[in-house]
Amino acid sequence: MARQKSLTPWKRSKRTTFTGVPSMNGRWGYPAIAPFFVIFLIFGVAPVVYSVYISFYKWDPLGVSEFNGINNFTFLLQDSDFWIALRNTFSIWALSTFPQLAMALGFAWILRNRRLKGKSFWRTILLVPNITSVIAITIVFQQLFGRDYGIINSLIQLIPGVERIDFVEGTLSSHIQIATMITWRWLGYNTLIFLASMLAIPDELYESASVDGASRWQQFVFVTLPQLKNTITFVLIVGTIGGLQVFAEPQQLGADGGSTKQFLTLTLFLYNQAFLNNKYGYAAAVGIAITIIVLIISTINFFITRRIASESSS
Amino acid sequence: MLRTTSTGLNRKNSKSLIGISAALILIVSSFVQPARAADPITLTIWTFGEVIQPGLQREYQKLHPEVKIIPIKNDVDPLHQKTVLSCQTGGPADIIAFEVPYSGYWRTGNRPNCFQDLRQMKTSDTNAAAGIAAGLSATDIKKNYLPWRWEQGVAFNDSVIGIPTDVGGLQVAYRVDLFKKAGLPTDRTQVSKLWPTWEKFIAVGKKYVAKLSAAEKKSGKGFIDDAGSIYSAVMNQGTAKYYQADGTDAGKLVYKTNPQIKKAWNTTVSALNAGIGARLGQFTSDWNIGMNKGAMATILSPAWMLDYIKKQAPETRGKWDIANLPGGGGNKGGTELGIPSYSKNKQAAFDFLTWYLAPEQQLKVFKTYGLFPSTSVLYNDPELLNYKDEFFNNAPVGQIYTQGVLKLKPIFEGELERKIDTLFGAGLGRVASKKMTPEKSYALVISDVDKLFKN
Repeated sequence: MARQKSLTPWKRSKRTTFTGVPSMNGRWGYPAIAPFFVIFLIFGVAPVVYSVYISFYKWDPLGVSEFNGINNFTFLLQDSDFWIALRNTFSIWALSTFPQLAMALGFAWILRNRRLKGKSFWRTILLVPNITSVIAITIVFQQLFGRDYGIINSLIQLIPGVERIDFVEGTLSSHIQIATMITWRWLGYNTLIFLASMLAIPDELYESASVDGASRWQQFVFVTLPQLKNTITFVLIVGTIGGLQVFAEPQQLGADGGSTKQFLTLTLFLYNQAFLNNKYGYAAAVGIAITIIVLIISTINFFITRRIASESSS
Repeated sequence: MLRTTSTGLNRKNSKSLIGISAALILIVSSFVQPARAADPITLTIWTFGEVIQPGLQREYQKLHPEVKIIPIKNDVDPLHQKTVLSCQTGGPADIIAFEVPYSGYWRTGNRPNCFQDLRQMKTSDTNAAAGIAAGLSATDIKKNYLPWRWEQGVAFNDSVIGIPTDVGGLQVAYRVDLFKKAGLPTDRTQVSKLWPTWEKFIAVGKKYVAKLSAAEKKSGKGFIDDAGSIYSAVMNQGTAKYYQADGTDAGKLVYKTNPQIKKAWNTTVSALNAGIGARLGQFTSDWNIGMNKGAMATILSPAWMLDYIKKQAPETRGKWDIANLPGGGGNKGGTELGIPSYSKNKQAAFDFLTWYLAPEQQLKVFKTYGLFPSTSVLYNDPELLNYKDEFFNNAPVGQIYTQGVLKLKPIFEGELERKIDTLFGAGLGRVASKKMTPEKSYALVISDVDKLFKN
């Protein structure tokens, strides 16, 4: 009888394992992966389920909670603060992501240069902002952007006829301030990711490009960028996820998100509802809304990525 | 651009923050608590700012080598959240500090249960040498304290959940040198006479600002650091804020009708319109720098802020003085110390509290840190009344702050006092930055406060 390929490999008998060692998959596999799943159940799934539950309540951790139906959700849709927070979040995301992408590509291109001296030094120093505490960064940047005694305003004052900018008070200016902090912190990290994938591009491509008479700039546009497509997508996706979580920077600038909520972000809004306004149920509803927004964006991302992948394979 | 949160807020789990933090506290507390030997007692104190003074802490440890005191500091608001969570899960704290604006929260509903009723506690004889007799309960030491201030630590079910540390008496700190330059009187009694009312205060401010050179104006100098700070000063001179006592735990919400709010709002708006403020938000980096650069000639300064000024602007030593607050007495801030119900060392904690908040110790704290005592028995003590501060041009700060505190009337603190305060503060911020007209901004404040109680 001809040997057939088993249709159920997990039921494969001991004798047919590839290594010849008797398999313990069936019996011991689940206990082996259990530690992760148990912890994930306790700290991941259970709180999510619980917060879905309390989102239907007027929930008071120390008092009496009452059932509130879907009121938390209908109220959310009417709450102008939520829409302002959504706008701010995307504005800060755009301001921090796109300039950062361009700069990271530029830096990576410079670091890739063979004639650059002290490569490891530059690569290491790029990561330093990333390991600095957000709070420390915010305090320093608040001084840089200070209205009266900040360096940036002192420089702006050198241009005749230009008024001082109250960065924190303005909508766009506060977004720029926060985006600058985020860019400063994550630029090095993304540069290194780009650098790694740039170094993986075979030299032959550049050699043949230069034989064809391509300039440095043309090599960058027609060789490097297409090869980095997947990496750019990755950085964009991860950046979008991070962008929806911006919290510590605006919170340090002003816990309530500014006098006209000009830098209130979604996560800060959630936090304030729970911990300043004692509206835990409502905050849980905000959390669910954020999850839905992330799901929508992930779906869009998924389709874009798939299209890019199919383009590059064809 | 990714993972920008340092707080563990995570995309999927943001809504599970509460659960996770509760679980974290469980874990942390299980690490902190494991079976310590009975003898050396560790008192963990959750506190903020200068509530627990290191000098006094050392003194207590010298008296009681068997007690180890570990103060853990947070900011006021995060500490409040930590307290709420630990009340559900248990925690390592033996003593917790909470600000008076949060007292309304802790005094209502089931929440007093989070704290030990201090009427049930009795002092041991451990501090007998320091003059604290054994067998005293909170009821017995009540007479030492300013009555309305004491009440802020008494829950609506009458249990005593906190003992007051200080009274945030409010007065005006002013720069003698800058007043002189502007041709204003410099003597503190004369300065006090300049502004019996807030209208006069604003008028003096206008006069001061008019004397500033164009360059000084351009660099953002002003008469007062933050004209917005006038709001809470005027509010606290009334008898009610956003809630009014009506015999119930929650009190009656009067944020739309209380004339004191309108008065405080209008006074502040007229100060903002007069342009007397340097628009330096208190406790910002610009404020700290501005203090050194003479950007403001006056600060409405609670007693506890004096120490902050000393630390932030050491070079201005001797250039400051203290005058009376316009419109009567003033108050800002104040703290309670309580024992959480889950504490394992209640007796030791209570012994520490009764010693630490006794009149003698409060006097010492006042002299080193400027926290004004809540023990009214001290208010005719010559040692307090004669206390002068060199940094503030030898002003008799003891006497000045005592007079202010004695003029105060009790104010009912409701559950969301602090939150409503921030909303009104933001409203004034919009007026200050000219983003909205006062009327529009006021309407927005009211609708924001409405939202707090909707849903």
